[in-house]
Amino acid sequence: MKTVEKLSENILDKLSIDFLRNQVLKNAYGNNDTVIAGMDPRILLVWYLFFGLVPWFVNDLPFLIGCFLLVAVTTMMAKVAGLVLFLFGLGVFSQTGYLLIVTLLFGGDASAIAPLLVLTLKVATVSLASITVFSGMDPDKLANGLMWYGCPERLSFSISYAYRMLPILMEEFQNILLSYRLRGNPPEHEHLVGKIKYLIYQIKVIIHSFYPLMLNTAKRSRTTVEVLEIKGYRYAAVNKEVKKIKLSSLCVSNNDLLFLSASFLWIAVTVLISTLI
Amino acid sequence: MSTINKQSANQSQKLMVFVLTMALYGLATLFTELIPKFQVGIVEFSVEYFLFIPLTLAMLFDPMSAALGAATGELVFSEIMLGQFGGLGELEKFITVTIGVYIAGRLVSDPQNRKLVGIAAFGGTAIQLLLGTIVDILKVQFAIEDFESVAGLPESVFATEGFAFVNDLLFSGILFCLLPTLFLVPKLYGKIEPLLGMQPRTKNTALDPIGLKAVIGCAVAFAVAIGAEFMAESGLSLIDWEADWAESSTAMAIGMVVAAVLAVAVVLIMRARSEKSSVEKGV
Repeated sequence: MKTVEKLSENILDKLSIDFLRNQVLKNAYGNNDTVIAGMDPRILLVWYLFFGLVPWFVNDLPFLIGCFLLVAVTTMMAKVAGLVLFLFGLGVFSQTGYLLIVTLLFGGDASAIAPLLVLTLKVATVSLASITVFSGMDPDKLANGLMWYGCPERLSFSISYAYRMLPILMEEFQNILLSYRLRGNPPEHEHLVGKIKYLIYQIKVIIHSFYPLMLNTAKRSRTTVEVLEIKGYRYAAVNKEVKKIKLSSLCVSNNDLLFLSASFLWIAVTVLISTLI
Repeated sequence: MSTINKQSANQSQKLMVFVLTMALYGLATLFTELIPKFQVGIVEFSVEYFLFIPLTLAMLFDPMSAALGAATGELVFSEIMLGQFGGLGELEKFITVTIGVYIAGRLVSDPQNRKLVGIAAFGGTAIQLLLGTIVDILKVQFAIEDFESVAGLPESVFATEGFAFVNDLLFSGILFCLLPTLFLVPKLYGKIEPLLGMQPRTKNTALDPIGLKAVIGCAVAFAVAIGAEFMAESGLSLIDWEADWAESSTAMAIGMVVAAVLAVAVVLIMRARSEKSSVEKGV
């Protein structure tokens, strides 16, 4: 009967769009006063490059644990929104916990746990590093940092645009959904068949509401692009002078260097420990 | 990324399609991260894909812009904004989504032909899922050392990935890609194009059917995606190298620690000095 109950907690009741919007906004703009947010994006990206790549290639357990502890501390420093951390936990479990269960099912024994622990540590370290960098930083700063490294202008434009547009888009989607629900006549959902019908009805409403949303967004994106054209965006995007002016706000401070060297110290210590063991 | 050429109207319209797909698909993928998954027995009903959005737009507008927009939207909205960015793996996702959506968009020469739209929608989803499955299997194989030696693990990876593929294709592919696309494409056809200042796609104005060039392009892109995963394999030699010196010389590690301590100390001194000088300047 549990699945029936699960089905009955329908999709729309479970996620309140207001909650989602608040979390995303908090994540983007709510923690500008943290140590991580104050740092130079270029330094953080270099730091991320190390902790996002190296754990994949190393199988040394003490080293991985050391990396994991470090990124856990930096995630705390970044004061990441709760929703993101929850998703992180869910993601790590679904990637490796699921695999463990199936491995046991296929006749694996406890020996499967050690490699899976290593895999879990890797996944967790890499995701926490990305949470630190990408959630902890101001989106505009992140976009500038990526641009400095020569990422396509379109990517940094997308990041800045996404953070500004998302709350508006979400609100619009919610309004459309609510109006559909107001006008609609949901099927009875007392019994199992009714509940499945109700679920199908909900999904249908979501898909139907994308029709007006697509039309509205089409209008909006035309306006956006036309405004950008007026400002000469496509020429500015490839112009070196403009890029220089845009990136002149970036500067590496002593705090950044301290962060880098402290991370380096910690890693060096973990390497030392792993050699001693 | 497209470069600037003389057809400025065309270029800005491409940007419009890009922005439109990015915003819509990004929003949808953000929801999929949060919608609960229903587990009935071992069959998982997850609303994994709102792929119908880029599929629909790729069939109505320029397929390449829509495909790139969808992949960027997913990357920016659901990965970077929620801090789920996974490095190498995201490159693979980016490329597979681009290929799937692009091929589906190119297949449709006349959006009013429902049969064609259906085949393209299903085919595009199948391509995307299949490429993803191949890369996933490779990824697990490379991430775990001694993959073959762990009892039950290889079979379980093939079983879970293969099952996930079939499950995704039949459930998400039909419910969330095929049916909505069949519903939306004819409904939006002729209505959404004028909003971007374009003519609806007809048989005459459609791009030529997929030629050898596009196929080769997709193959190369997929090779890059696999290459990103194969970097992990070449990383295996890196481990050997690292383990080699790590075990042989503790001195090296001690040297690293000393260097790190020195670096921290130097930075601390630098910071103290700069604070001092700024205070003096302030006075």
